[in-house]
Amino acid sequence: MSTRSRLLVCVAVLGALHLGVACAGFFAPNDPAAQDRDHPYAPPMRLHFVDAHGGLHLRPFVYAQALRVDSFDTYEEDRAKAIPLKFFVRGALYRVLGVLPLRVHLFGFGDDLPVYLLGSDGYGRDLLSRVLFGAQVSLLAGLIGAGLTLSIGLCVGAVAGFWGGWKDEVLMRVAELFLALPWIYLLFAMRAFLPLAVPPLKAFLLVVMVIGVVGWARPARMVRGIVLSAKERDFVRAARGFGASGGYLLRRHILPETSSVLLTQAAILVPQFVLAEMTLSFLGLGVPEPMPSWGNLLASLQHYNVLVSYWWMYLPALAMVPFFVGYLVLASLLQGSTEAYKIEGAGSGV
Amino acid sequence: MRFVLRRLGHAAFLLVGVSVLAFFFSTLAPGNYFDEMRLNPQISAEQLSALRAEYQVDRPMAVRYVRWAGAVLQGDLGFSFAYDTPVAPLLWTRARNTLLLTGTATLLVWMLALPLGVWSAERLGRPVDVALSWATAVLLIIPDLALALGLLVLVVRSGWLPTGGMVSVGFDTFSVVHKLQDVALHMVLPVTVLVASALPVLLRHVRAAVAEALQAPFLRAAEGHGISRRRLLYRYVLPAAAHPLIALFGFSIGTLLSGSLLVEVVMSWPGLGPFLLEAILARDLYVVIGGVLLSTLFLVAGNFAADLLLYWADPRIRAETTGR
Amino acid sequence: MEPVIRVENLVKRYATRGLGRRVEAFTAVDSVSFSILPGSTLALVGESGSGKSSVALCLSCLERVTAGQIWFEGRDLSALQEQELRSVRPKLQLVFQDPANSLNARWTVGEIVAEPLLVQRRISKRERDARAAQVLEQVGLGADYLERRPRELSGGQRQRVAIARALVLEPRLLILDEVLSALDCSIQAQIANLLVEMQRAYGLAYLFITHDLGMAAHLADEIAVMSQGKIVEQGPAAKILRDARSPEVRSLLGASPVPREAMEGVREL
Repeated sequence: MSTRSRLLVCVAVLGALHLGVACAGFFAPNDPAAQDRDHPYAPPMRLHFVDAHGGLHLRPFVYAQALRVDSFDTYEEDRAKAIPLKFFVRGALYRVLGVLPLRVHLFGFGDDLPVYLLGSDGYGRDLLSRVLFGAQVSLLAGLIGAGLTLSIGLCVGAVAGFWGGWKDEVLMRVAELFLALPWIYLLFAMRAFLPLAVPPLKAFLLVVMVIGVVGWARPARMVRGIVLSAKERDFVRAARGFGASGGYLLRRHILPETSSVLLTQAAILVPQFVLAEMTLSFLGLGVPEPMPSWGNLLASLQHYNVLVSYWWMYLPALAMVPFFVGYLVLASLLQGSTEAYKIEGAGSGV
Repeated sequence: MRFVLRRLGHAAFLLVGVSVLAFFFSTLAPGNYFDEMRLNPQISAEQLSALRAEYQVDRPMAVRYVRWAGAVLQGDLGFSFAYDTPVAPLLWTRARNTLLLTGTATLLVWMLALPLGVWSAERLGRPVDVALSWATAVLLIIPDLALALGLLVLVVRSGWLPTGGMVSVGFDTFSVVHKLQDVALHMVLPVTVLVASALPVLLRHVRAAVAEALQAPFLRAAEGHGISRRRLLYRYVLPAAAHPLIALFGFSIGTLLSGSLLVEVVMSWPGLGPFLLEAILARDLYVVIGGVLLSTLFLVAGNFAADLLLYWADPRIRAETTGR
Repeated sequence: MEPVIRVENLVKRYATRGLGRRVEAFTAVDSVSFSILPGSTLALVGESGSGKSSVALCLSCLERVTAGQIWFEGRDLSALQEQELRSVRPKLQLVFQDPANSLNARWTVGEIVAEPLLVQRRISKRERDARAAQVLEQVGLGADYLERRPRELSGGQRQRVAIARALVLEPRLLILDEVLSALDCSIQAQIANLLVEMQRAYGLAYLFITHDLGMAAHLADEIAVMSQGKIVEQGPAAKILRDARSPEVRSLLGASPVPREAMEGVREL
């Protein structure tokens, strides 16, 4: 398969994944905020095709779970109550892209008895639904953060490379400073000095802003390099020869040369920034409850008893993997083989 | 000598710059900082106004920075509101533990990356190399948070390894050997996570650098002289690849320092990481600035060491800076 | 007749940063003077490093002059500000050596040729395209080339596009910086003939920069030989070739074959 078609396949798969996340409400069987205090930390329910009497069913079903009489956290299946899986059910209300209200879900089990395909958390909320909705928050943070970083890097790199002189010196020295700090410490320091107890939406924006501002130095240096070499190309000189202004040169000739680098950087940065959001939220500095994000879904694992007894609370950590794979493959396809060896390009540690 | 001075000056510039940045960020919302402390019942109103006066909150930033910088140069990193003691001694103990972890991880990761990188560069494209690439790709895909938590979940039930902290209960009563053993056992999990997260990238770059060096024509000549393969690799190829590798070394320190923060928190290793986090949540201003500065110091020092190593290893740099 | 352009004591120095932050000055052009009459061609000949390209850059105002004057249409270009230069620029166009570099590979031929119009005047897209097609016809490329991209063209075709772009603003002087050097021998002749044709049709003056004395002999009325920033010999083309006084000319003659017709009377070298 040629690189071009591989690229198309990769983009298509990633696009499908993102589309799925955008329609999280459709794919999630339950309302992520719906609590059920009677079923805290319920383990994942298994789908069965064969019932207790050995009969085969085409439609998979689940057995209801109830707490065992003598314990407070062990569940057992109630073989008497079988709940079949239904497709295109009417369930909890959700809004697509925050606007369009819908009630149809891809699959569901009816809303009289709770069903947890990935288990439930301490408040009895369905983990699967929370993972899907959490994906929206984490991915959005990564995407917007990457957009912000690349925009800042583009502006700084263009100014430094095109006009040079003292602006270039100053900007590159500042960039060096930002690169000198281990990035997580920078992230934390920035987050530290901003207000901590903030409502979820504001916290989300704060997190995105912090993530976006931290990483501009490396893209800025790359853009600057490209601008410096593009400036000397003859077609730029020719345009100057007919009286083109600096702004025109940047806009029509020089900055288009940066597009491939920016795209590659985007593919590398998005997963890194999703990870940054996950780290911040996991440690309590990011998106707070009750808004789900992959990071804060993992936060309960900091408690020893959760770590030991409720292994399914780890599953959100794996939700990131398909996206990570997609973005990494995309990045390496975009980079091609020549640039894969430069330190300034690859790497998962910024 | 000039080279050393120049790099030293550069390192000093970075530290000063970072301190200015850290200080600047802390003053972005100075009101908020002290306002939030007002909500803290542990700090009385008199203490608060005394603190405000002492830290000259109402003075211009430059004045405060100079005062603070002067204190830092004398080893005084400020005062911790949460612990009610000077910051410096608190940080030093934690820093030592972080260095232990990060240092061991750096050593191990390079001990793995160099031989593996050379080995796969020699067999570029062959099945073993491809298999190794796939294995490292898998490692690359798993984010360190998932790796750390995953290992914990796996290990916690079996009880083979301690899953948190640096020392076991009753550490002070252990014999020296037992103490070493205890710390080493506690280090296994965090070091494993750090190495696993840094290895893929490093390995890829080592492999690339060595592969490129292997293509140099002077190697063919050396081979023709009958020099043994092993001598060739370690006396000829590696030095040729030294430049990118040493730059990579500096980069690896940064990655490992960043990684160690998270790993320390997840595995409850008493290093700078958890301490910094605690300070952030408690709004302990000077601890946070001190912690950031210290970690930058390590990074800058590591890079400076790498620069010195490069200077020693690469005669071209020596020639460039001394003569014409 | 008034010369189209008169250069007086042109000096161009570049400041280079040596190691250890010492600023060294490199004199590329050391007090050069010449003038070009309308409709005629002056060839500036020299080896690489003799300063010819620096002269080209100074004349087209892409580099600031260190000292000296460039008189064009009664004004000294070296003393003008960027704003004032804007109105002068269309009349002085530079064509570069390597069309692979001087044409933006992401643009179509039509856009490339029309670009000067886009930058200089506010005429509509339709008018721009019409003018571009017109100029392309003149250089021997049909209107179907408008939508093509540089990578689809041969070296000679690309150079034609570059020339068309230079002509679109109806200049009075074309500075041709080694425009034939990157082309195959057979194509060189074609483009050289195109240049002669254009000159005749529009009364253009040419500053033809080259290291090829033979080509200079073919195209130029006057030749100025440059070496290390200075003009060592200057005069009518035939005279330069015939007398071949300076060692530079002799080595240049040795380096490139000169057609017989130009060589009558030259001593055996």
